[in-house]
Order: sequence, then structure tokens, then C-alpha cells
Amino acid sequence: MLFVLLTAVSCDNVLDKQPLDKLQGENLFSNPEGVKLYMANLYYQLPIEDFTFFRQGFNWNTGDPNNGGFAPAMITDEAVHTEFGDFIGNDDFQWWDQGYKLIRDTNILIDIIPTLDVTEDETKALVGESAFIRAYAYFALVKRYGGVPLITAVQKYEGDVEALKVPRSTEKETWDFVLKECDVAIANLADSWPGGERRATKWVAYALKSRAALHAASLAKYSERAPISGTAVDQKLVGIEKSAAADYYKAAIDASEAIINSGKFALYKPTPASPEEAAENYRKLFEDPNIAPTETIFIKGFARPGAGTGHNYGIWYQPNQTANGWPHPGRMNPTLDLIDAYESYTNPGQNAPIATTVAGNDVNDYNGFDPAKNYKRYDDPAGIYKDKDARLWATAILPGTPWKGQKIIIQAGFVKPDGNAQLFGGDPIKVGGTTIYPYGAADRTQYSGFDTWGGNNTRTGVSFKKFLNEGVNVAPGWNQTVSDWADFRYAEILLNYAEAIVESGTGTAAKGAQALNDIRRRAGHTKNIPLTIDNVIRERRVELAFENKRFWDLVRRREYHTLFNNRVRHALIPVLDLRVTPAKYIFIRQNIARLNPSTFDYKQYYRYIPGIGSNGLVQNPQY
Amino acid sequence: MKHLKTYLSALLIIFIAAACKIDNYPAPDARLYGTFLDVETNEPVEQDIIRGSTIEFIEHGYASQTKQVMIVKNDGTYRNNLIFANQYTITPVRGNFVPAEPQDVNVAGETKLDFKVQPYIRVKDAKIEKSGSKVIATFKIQQTVINNVRKIGLYAHPEPSVGEPMRTVLSETDINAATDPNKVYKLEIDIPSNSNNLKAGSQYFFRIGAIIDAPESKFNYAKAVRIAL
Repeated sequence: MLFVLLTAVSCDNVLDKQPLDKLQGENLFSNPEGVKLYMANLYYQLPIEDFTFFRQGFNWNTGDPNNGGFAPAMITDEAVHTEFGDFIGNDDFQWWDQGYKLIRDTNILIDIIPTLDVTEDETKALVGESAFIRAYAYFALVKRYGGVPLITAVQKYEGDVEALKVPRSTEKETWDFVLKECDVAIANLADSWPGGERRATKWVAYALKSRAALHAASLAKYSERAPISGTAVDQKLVGIEKSAAADYYKAAIDASEAIINSGKFALYKPTPASPEEAAENYRKLFEDPNIAPTETIFIKGFARPGAGTGHNYGIWYQPNQTANGWPHPGRMNPTLDLIDAYESYTNPGQNAPIATTVAGNDVNDYNGFDPAKNYKRYDDPAGIYKDKDARLWATAILPGTPWKGQKIIIQAGFVKPDGNAQLFGGDPIKVGGTTIYPYGAADRTQYSGFDTWGGNNTRTGVSFKKFLNEGVNVAPGWNQTVSDWADFRYAEILLNYAEAIVESGTGTAAKGAQALNDIRRRAGHTKNIPLTIDNVIRERRVELAFENKRFWDLVRRREYHTLFNNRVRHALIPVLDLRVTPAKYIFIRQNIARLNPSTFDYKQYYRYIPGIGSNGLVQNPQY
Repeated sequence: MKHLKTYLSALLIIFIAAACKIDNYPAPDARLYGTFLDVETNEPVEQDIIRGSTIEFIEHGYASQTKQVMIVKNDGTYRNNLIFANQYTITPVRGNFVPAEPQDVNVAGETKLDFKVQPYIRVKDAKIEKSGSKVIATFKIQQTVINNVRKIGLYAHPEPSVGEPMRTVLSETDINAATDPNKVYKLEIDIPSNSNNLKAGSQYFFRIGAIIDAPESKFNYAKAVRIAL
């Protein structure tokens, strides 16, 4: 009897016990360290398009990160993959559930800020940071889906699911919300953090506003290039009126100008003495963006090797010769289409398509080797790239140039002394007692081009260099690369500024031209070029190449469907010409081998909204 | 124990058998087919099989109002042999013709449904010939709306489904103006400078197309022509 009684008494509160291995909400937020911890998680979830951003999503460095190294750049005209011929699919670049998870986590913090026992300054900082994170999240949503449900406070389930369903706002309302949240962040955040932490500042918020406003403005100006129809269009859930462009361009100009006029930022090493110096400065800037604190406005760090903390650029994109034991390197192949866009120093202000023949009038001929043509011959396999913008040399590993103490050999074959070409494989031949190998060396570890073995050799004629650290041999395993990512660079702000000025016809054109030419000066150019939209877009392509900007530039300016209408991307293949002694290199412009044409459809300017069966939202057109 | 095992297996079989209730719904039992016909000439309106005109249809009796789509063959015909007998709202959309009204159709058994449409453009007097090292197309353009003609093109592909979306070689001219129905347009493709895609001794399909400047419009075509190079 007593036993039963005692047992019953001891049952008191058994269901109210606190777990010992988890923090409770109140405890977490009552302690400044707890808030910091919570904030770190929000930053981790931020949709930053960094080294771990792929078509499968963000933070693609946990679990099994094996996606073949297929980078977002390969869906644009910047690069192709060594093996995959994929183009954009409906499920690519989705960010719905994760987006609303981040928004909910941020709303939890926003709701609790007024109750926290912290100083006024700390409260302001929290208000600013949470607005910045929400702006960043909604920007990532609106550029994918158009107008989305604006959830601005934590939703509570009280027995009625229907009450939780929020309809989509219009696309314009959503963009306006993003810019408004940027303003809240700008008004509340300080210039910097006392310990120099990589957290949002007033300037990072301005930078986000500059990028977002330019995106919205371009959509307003250019949506009519790709008209779509359907319920979502009728309800203005996708699409912005053309008349809204002016305000958005102004917002982009103002936000950029605030950064420019702050005096806190500058380009890294703005006046190099030579193109060689410019190339080295530019390369170093991406090898470690921390060396340029005035240029890098916001950095995401990859601190230590491991799941969730390192990334995989160092293994996927090394040239084959420096694979360091990794079985599938060499996967980022910059295209000739991109290479052509780099200016030459002698003829600035223009695309400089690489002329391979003495006549130079056949840059649109991609039909392959023609023995009747008088090809330019070079001793140096990178000779044809001389005079090209320094940034090309720092973005791509060109044939025959050194990398990690090796000469990187990229050769597609040879023209035999009898004038017949042998390209992409076959047996070596003997010429005057010397054995000549089709790919430039006897063993497959000694060259980096065109051999299809393992999908490890470039098929465009150049390999990838930007962001790779020449001084580090990355261990051949997952997530072993720890270089940092510059999310906002001053150079991007200058380009946003120049584009907004030239596209809107407002602002000070002279300042826009100066912004454009300052970036070119840093790349070793000494002749200024006028501010035109073509000049700005070309400059964006080369300065921001592989920074995951091109995809969105093609989307926001509605150029994708025009540039990718049965688009065939191109290679510049180096070939050893044995018709002359000593043998020299010639180059052939041609279609990239084993790659199908790609087409971007109107409807792909918006992603489909997942789960409309349960969330009841209006679907985007044609899904 | 032995008995228990027997009982258990028997019980299991009963459970599994219970799940075997007949739950097969009837398969789609109707067929819907037809042709896009020019309302004036009553001839089929040439189409594209990929990224061409589409037919949206909504099955009645469900709350979701989900739009399903059918595509159209190059000769302007379409056919769906796996459709449920029911009432449908059917609309040809995003096409190369003046937008058509939705219509409610009862689909049962073999149902024929032609769409009488007004094509934006008629390509008239089309002629495609090989002449020396070139393939030359001549034709006239008759537009049925006041919009500008955006561009005209000659497209080539090894398959008969050739069109603007499906071509390996093209020759296009931007027009961006209203056209004179009596003017003879000429487009040509040079064979040697496309030696990658046009190989001597092979045969290819060539097709003349023109597109009107209207939202979501698609190309209008003349019939594809087979030419041996």
C-alpha cells in the first residue's frame, strides 16, 4: 500500500522534466552567447551562392556531396563540364522549404528581441541583422518564384491548418518588401563589428540592396522580352510593370553611391604597372579574399576541412596533372564564348574574338580543321592569348602555362607532315626520330586536355584557375578545401552602379564611366572606354566570371532565351602543326565535342512552386 | 509451437489476402484527335512538335482544375489515345494563330475535334531548291493581323520535324515591320560553310518559317522539303 503511494507521489511532474542535452528557448535567448549561437545558425542558412552552391541547393558539403562537380557556371555561357551535357531542369535551383525554414527561424528571433535583456545598441544590432537575413532570404525567393507569401511573424498552429495558409503577394510587393527590409537593416546596423566579425554591417546591407534593386529594375525593364501568360500573371504574382523600373534603378544607384561615397572601400591594388602584375593581383584576390579588406564587403568563411565546413572546388577543378590523387579533377572547362568576351589591350572597348588564321575573317567558322586555311602558328601554346585582358590569365589555366610547378599540357592532336589532321586520340607518330603524342605527353597523368578518360581533361582547350590556391595541395577527399568566399565585392557594387546609370539614363554618367574604367584600370587597361550597356555587361562577364552572377544576369535581363536558343558552346583547341619544322601550335575554333545544343524556355525564368496541393498557392505559368 | 507457426502463417495469408481487394480503376478508354485547320483555306496549319502550339485541357468534376497539355505534330494534327471519357474544357494556347476561345467538349470513345484557327501568317508560294553550293528558299508572306512580322527563317535538320526549335542550320532575317503580301523574300544557306552539319551525299529537311510579334507567339511554316545534297 505504502509502496503504491510512494510510487504515485514520485510520478509528480515526470512529464515536465527538461532534457539535459538540449537548450530550452528561454535559456538560449536569455544569454547573449545563446543569441550569438542562434545567429550563427541563421547565417549558416543564408542562401549565399558560394563554393557550396549547386543546382541541388546551398551548403552542398554535408552528407554525400558528390554531384560530379557540376557547377552553376556550366548552365551559362561561362563553362561546360568535362562529361555532363546537362542543361537547366525544372528541379534545379529550388529553394522553398529551406527558405521558409530560415524565415521562420528569423521570425522567432524577431519576435523575441523586444523581450531580451540587452543594451539598446545590442537590440538595434539584432533588429538590423534579422532584417538583413530576412531581406537576403526573400531576395533568394523572389528571384526564383516571383511573388511569394510574406510571412513576417511566427505562425502558430492552433488547430486550423487553413489559418496558416498565406496567399502569394504580388512580385512587386515582394521586391518592395526585400528593399524595405534592407532599409531597416541599413538604419540599425553599425559600420563594423568590434571584433571584425563576418556579420552584416550597414555596408553589407547597402550592398544587398544594390544587388536586389538592380535585379528588380532589370525585370521591370525587360520582362516584356519574354512574355508569359496564366493565372499567376493575371494576378501579378509574376511580372513587374515597366513603369516600376525607374524607382528600382534609383534605389540601386543610391545604395551603390552610399557605399562608394563612404570612403571605406576601394579596389584591391587599383593601379598595377603591367598586365602581368594585374593578373597576379586578381588571382590572389580570389585565392584568399581576406587580403583585400577594402574590396571584400562580405566574406563567408570555410574555416576547416570537413563536412559542413570545407568545400570541393580544390578537388573538382584542378587540372588533371595536379589532381593529387583525386580520381576526377579538371571538370570546369571555361568556354571560348567567355574567352572571346575578354578585351584585348590593343583594341579596347570591344569583344576580342580569337582569330586563328592570318586572314582573321573566319571567327564564326566552327567546322573544324581546314587544310586550305592559313593558320597563325605559335611556338608558345598560350601565344594566341597574348594581349588578352589579364583577368583571363588569372581565371583560366591556359595551355603550356605553369601551375603548381608543372607545365600544364593541353593539346588536342596534331597535323601530320603530310597535312592530314589527327585530332582527339589515335596512335603517336614518329617525326624525325621523335615520338609525338596526340595529347602532348605519353602518360595520362602528364597532360590535362581532351582525353576522355575519366572525364578529367578539359574539352574546351583551357582549364580553370580562379579561386584555386596554387600553394596548397588539397587532400583527395570530400570537403577538404578551405578558401573563403567573397559574397559582396566592391567591384560588383561599381558595376551595379554603372549599369543602373546607363540603363535608367539618370544619375551622373561621368561617375558611372569612372566606376567602369576603375575596374578596367585594375585589370591593366590604360585607355578608358565610354559608358555603354554593352561595355558594362562585357565588364561584368569578365570581372565577375564564375562568381555565380552570370546565371542571374541572364535571367534578370531576360537574355537567356535569346542566347540559349539551340545554343552550341565553343572550344579553342590547340593542335601541334608538324607540317613545319620545328613544329608549332595552331588553334582551331570549333564546337565543343560531345555536347548537345541547349535551349532555355520562357517558363524557366520562374521556378515551379513545390507543394501547391497542400499549400494551395497559385502555380507559376506552364508548370 | 508447431501449431502456432501454422496459425501465424495462416493469419499472415489472411492479412495479405485481405489487402488484395480489387482496386483497379478503369483505364483511360477514350481517344481524342483532330487537326488545326486554317479557318479560311481549311488546310492544316503547320506546327512545331517541340516548343510549339499546345492544347490545354481541364477535366470536369474535380476541384483542382489542373491544366493538362497536349502537343501538336508538325503537320498540324494531334492525337491522345489515353484520355478518360468525360467533359473537358479545351483551349489551344500559346500558338501560331489568333488566340482561340475555350470550348466544352464531351469526350467519349473516338472523338474528333478540329480547331479552326486564324494563323498569324501564311507562307505562300514557298519554293526551296538546291542551286550550286547553296540551298535557296523563295516565298511570300501573308499576315492576317496588323502586328509586325518579327523575323523570317530557313531551317534545316536531318529529321522531318524540322523547325525553328529543331534545326542544326539556320538562315534568318529580322523584319520587325508589316510585310507586303506581294514581295518575294529570299533566304539562302551556304552548304560548304556549314560542312559540320550539312554533309554532301546526305539528305536534309528544309522548312521556311515566319513569326509574328505577339506575346508567346509561335512560328508559322510552309511544309518541310526534303533535299539531297
